[in-house]
Amino acid sequence: MILDIYKDALEYSAKDWTKLVILGVVCLFSFLLLPLFLLTGYNYRVINNAVHGVINGRDPLPEFNDLIEMFIDGVKVVIVQIAYLLIPFIIFLIFAVIAGNLSGAASSALMLIGALITFVIFIVAELMIQMGICHMAYNDGAFSKAFAFSEIKEAIDEIGWFECIVTYVGLIIITLVISFVVTAIIGLIFTAFGISGAVLGADPSGIFVLGVLINSAITLFIVGPYLSIFNSRSSGLLYTMQI
Amino acid sequence: MASITDCVVEGLKYPFTNIKKILGIGVLFALVSALSTVIGIKSFDIFRMSIHLVENTNSTVSQIPFSQLPAGNIYLVVGLSVISFIVGLFILGYQYDVVKFSIDRKADLPGFNDIAGLLVRGIKYLIVTVAYYIIPVILWTAGIAFAGDSSVFIIVSLIAGLLFIIAYFLMIMAVNNMVAYGSIKKAFDFREITDNIANLGWGKYIGIVLFTVIVMMIISVAVGIILSFITVAFAAVINNQAVIISIVIAIIEGLFIDSYMTVFFSRVCGSIYRESIK
Repeated sequence: MILDIYKDALEYSAKDWTKLVILGVVCLFSFLLLPLFLLTGYNYRVINNAVHGVINGRDPLPEFNDLIEMFIDGVKVVIVQIAYLLIPFIIFLIFAVIAGNLSGAASSALMLIGALITFVIFIVAELMIQMGICHMAYNDGAFSKAFAFSEIKEAIDEIGWFECIVTYVGLIIITLVISFVVTAIIGLIFTAFGISGAVLGADPSGIFVLGVLINSAITLFIVGPYLSIFNSRSSGLLYTMQI
Repeated sequence: MASITDCVVEGLKYPFTNIKKILGIGVLFALVSALSTVIGIKSFDIFRMSIHLVENTNSTVSQIPFSQLPAGNIYLVVGLSVISFIVGLFILGYQYDVVKFSIDRKADLPGFNDIAGLLVRGIKYLIVTVAYYIIPVILWTAGIAFAGDSSVFIIVSLIAGLLFIIAYFLMIMAVNNMVAYGSIKKAFDFREITDNIANLGWGKYIGIVLFTVIVMMIISVAVGIILSFITVAFAAVINNQAVIISIVIAIIEGLFIDSYMTVFFSRVCGSIYRESIK
């Protein structure tokens, strides 16, 4: 089941390279703030497609039209994330304040326990965020559904908490591996160029700069968008795994 | 509508249906923001002059004779303030029309042919706004006047802030109710106003208003970033003309941004009312 999700998501994200490049361009302009929400909005559309589709279906990548709706969807996703992440943050703050008023071993012990509890709640909150956004997408974008805790908990129960966590850990590992491997391959190619250039008597620093530029361009325009679509698609598909 | 946030999407798209009319109301906004920039600069001049006089004559501000102040500047500030107040009334009247069109589900933007009516509706809108905000404002002013810088003042301003927020939420529905019936009495029919909100659900109502405000804040911050780039670009080209640059930026903001945001917000308010009476 989990491997099927990954396989589908890996193929799905590679369906249309032009859209990846468009996403990359949007990401490049995200310092203007509005494009940042377009990115999250686009990922929301990917999730929306996934929760309404079937695994290994023939869904195309979502279109880049109706930017205003995409923007509003992005704002919704960001609000959901912030609202959920506030809980671990506040708990951590409470522990920090209490520990700050104690002294010696009690203070550090309490801080340790606080950090552990925060970490666990953070993981749960992240799970709830992913599932909440999927649940919201499934219910035609009704905002309140992102915070319908009992329904979301039921959904996670049906999929299985263990499966969910394993899927997300797998996602993190795949993301890290793909980005590392791509960077390493480009690095190797340019190292080979640099060495052969140096042997032939050229200055290798220019090749080094070119390598860094190409590397960041590929990360920005191809690998980054690919991985973000991959992650959204996977978590959307995971939501459809409930019986 | 599947989700109430669709109102916001619809509201954001709405101003684009007739760019000409948006620019028409934008001219009024540009006028107001240009005027307020000038007013700001001139009142700063007057302020500086009176500080200078106070320092030189060892008196207090209230003891300065009027004849020593720059009379021309004062008349200019008063005159410009009156003009921008009247223009502001037209803008409020236009907002009234936008809410009306939204409640009536009209897809087009309101026009400007009924100038006198626009002014009357603007005055109505202003009366409702003032009536709703008067209690927190009086409380807050009284807090400043009587409690000064004691801890009582903090409590008073907290209460005033809370009342201000409550008034804000009620006022949106009050204006909607007034526009729907075309009668100013309906703006103070609290039973009907709270009934409407309860009909939609208080959580949903507060949520959608907050959501709209958040969207507006995001857009303003983003526009602020872009405008600051434009300002830097202007400043790099034109030397030593800070006043002109700030007026140009104020006009750009009024012409495109303020008009868009106001029409957007009024449209969403009307849509909320439409959803609440379903």
